Amino acid sequence: MRHTIVVDLGFGDAGKGTVVDWLASPAAAAVGLADPPVAVVRFNGGAQAGHNVVAPDGRHHTFAQFGSATLHGIPTVLSRYMLVQPIALAAEATGLRRLGVPDPFGLLSVDIDALLTTPYHAAVNRALERSRGNAAHGSCGMGIGETVAYALAHPGDAPCVGDCIDRSLLKRRLEWLRDWADARLAELSPAGVVRRLPTASDLADAYGSFASRVNFSDSAALGRLARSGRLIFEGAQGVLLDESYGFHPHTTWSRTTFANALELLGSTGVDVDDQRQALRIGVSRTYATRHGAGPFVTEDSRLRPLLQEPHNGTDHWQGAFRVGHLDLVGLRYAVDCCGGIDALAMTHLDRAEALAQTNPGELRVAQAWELPEDGGLVPRLPVAPGPHSAHQDGQLTALARQARPVLVEQPTDWAGLLMHELAAPMLVESRGPTWADKSRATRAPLVA
Amino acid sequence: MGSGRWSTNIYAAAAAYRARTGADPFDHDHLMRTTRARGTWVAHPTLDPSGVTVREARDSDEHPASLPIAVLFDVTGSMGAVPRALQRKLPQLFGLLQRRGYVEHPQILFGAIGDATCDEVPLQVGQFESDNRMDTQLGNILLEGGGGGQKTESYELAAYFMARHTALDSLTKRGKRGYLFLVGDEMNYPRVYARGSHAPATGWVSAARRGVAEIIGDTLAEDIPIEAIYAEVKRMYDVYFILPGAAFYGGDQQVLGHWRGLLGQNVIELDDLDAVCETIALAVGLGESAIDLDSGLADLADIGSEAGASVGKALATVGANRATVTTSAAPPGLSDPADNSRAIERI
Repeated sequence: MRHTIVVDLGFGDAGKGTVVDWLASPAAAAVGLADPPVAVVRFNGGAQAGHNVVAPDGRHHTFAQFGSATLHGIPTVLSRYMLVQPIALAAEATGLRRLGVPDPFGLLSVDIDALLTTPYHAAVNRALERSRGNAAHGSCGMGIGETVAYALAHPGDAPCVGDCIDRSLLKRRLEWLRDWADARLAELSPAGVVRRLPTASDLADAYGSFASRVNFSDSAALGRLARSGRLIFEGAQGVLLDESYGFHPHTTWSRTTFANALELLGSTGVDVDDQRQALRIGVSRTYATRHGAGPFVTEDSRLRPLLQEPHNGTDHWQGAFRVGHLDLVGLRYAVDCCGGIDALAMTHLDRAEALAQTNPGELRVAQAWELPEDGGLVPRLPVAPGPHSAHQDGQLTALARQARPVLVEQPTDWAGLLMHELAAPMLVESRGPTWADKSRATRAPLVA
Repeated sequence: MGSGRWSTNIYAAAAAYRARTGADPFDHDHLMRTTRARGTWVAHPTLDPSGVTVREARDSDEHPASLPIAVLFDVTGSMGAVPRALQRKLPQLFGLLQRRGYVEHPQILFGAIGDATCDEVPLQVGQFESDNRMDTQLGNILLEGGGGGQKTESYELAAYFMARHTALDSLTKRGKRGYLFLVGDEMNYPRVYARGSHAPATGWVSAARRGVAEIIGDTLAEDIPIEAIYAEVKRMYDVYFILPGAAFYGGDQQVLGHWRGLLGQNVIELDDLDAVCETIALAVGLGESAIDLDSGLADLADIGSEAGASVGKALATVGANRATVTTSAAPPGLSDPADNSRAIERI
């Protein structure tokens, strides 16, 4: 069985959603994936994901927790590594129903061990980010980091999906969490600010309804699914935001590499070292983007008006959507952090090709970083030996902050450049938002 | 953005989860009430007992040791707001049993009981489902709210259906009974009537009683006394009666006495409906020896209602009763092979 894992090699927004949508579409038969997938598995992050998918008939949805193949009617599994946000999930389901998905909840199974992100976590997150002022981390304001932090600080007490069906246990855990949030907010907020946290009882009611509506899953259920057909693992965020490998403190609280997906697949008996069983796909645009604060070596404000986003604008918590040149240093580093990739997917080729016509020479590619005062060239970044190691002291961030990109002209053959630089075959090239806008790359491997 | 990433309205979310197709949480009931005259109401096709051969609780690769648990509740007028509260609470039962580790492979069936003398839909019975999503079955239940004024409803029809029209792998393969919970506030009619009668049986002039022939489609040679049908259904299920305090006959001694005569100590008075899932789960947990009463009561106390005390008292006697059952020989009337193997297993 050929399972595929889709990971973003940048800071997010590379187009994982659109690649997942394509992998689940009839067009994937061109690379040997003719059978429809049995499910899309989310394996990191939470509701802060924003994966845009546009169907050929014009329907558009920004997938946050539902898998990006939902418009094909493919079920979603939220694995135990997901941070599940039931309130946002309900709103997302309503949006999907409006798009003609008849029973979105019916397509969903949620691992009983997945942690819950609650309005309490979000309130603390926002107060914290507000208190940082100009030193904001670029948080999305949903409480993702707080969810992980609370679970680490209170092992066994953090509310998880399975608790939702045991009202008394859930209510108790929500009350503890609410007390914690109250105390944190008292420290963070200016005096006199009124906090309106929902009661644990009201929240427990909503979560109880959630629990009786969505199907529960566990590792055994995932194993059965993996044996019944092919799975698509849909990553969130990007490798350069990884909790260990990213540019501290501008990171996300999850593993954004293939690691979680490989663990999940490995536990079902799949030989994850065999790329005929588990194909690791790295996704990149033809240019770099970043949403939120943090170092961005190839950022070029002149590109922003030229490469505007139809679905990614400025939002209150993360600020403007930032745009820069393709950064081969970052891409090489991302691939190294992943321990290699089996295939590439490249998106936004149409944008780069159009720009080459209208504004020749504007869009370029960073071959290396250059450090000031003859500090030399940095073609490659060292990979931290493990979690919580040197990178988290901010050395990598300091390096990136002072580096300048060494830019060369944009290539005429993007796929060739990326395959050469990252030593992986190109699976698919995207020249538009829908799956029908994607073509099997001329040098794509057949993966059957 | 269409994703709802920012939605924080927990009430809207709860309603969205309860809404099965975006309409009323309880679609079938809503449909009947808004589109048909009362006299023409019908059961949802998935719950209509008419012509049903058997409702099955089967083992499978996924659920190798299924444990059938059936919950049928009275939906007549005397129950007041109780049925709607049950419809809201009961979806959590499955997960609760699993989450608390009481039962590994529960298969749950829901149903509703009315009055065969004056209701359009006196019996509704779903399927045994091994899925935490219980909303669909429950949502299809019609809350007719009828019934007569004579303190009797057609519970015996439900007992008959469960005895004659269910097939339990747990029993046939492993000699293990299922659990049947009847939630109501009135008494049985004296017999399971084989056929209907146009004579006013209950004092209601217009009443036209229906029997097994009309409601289920079986041909019985004669009526079955309720003692016999309960003896029969108790060979397949541990049967409990739950009397909610909020119902019209809550606490009624005649009703309690009637049921104790049929079910012994397995009669539970429940003051707080919020605790209905916990109570059922606790009874099953005790029955499965998955929990002792003290830790079960500690769980109940956490709900923060008065229910803990009364339920604890009721279940204490239930537990004690079970202990004597397991150590004594089966009563003469119950000594069929399945029953013997069950008695052995419980020791």
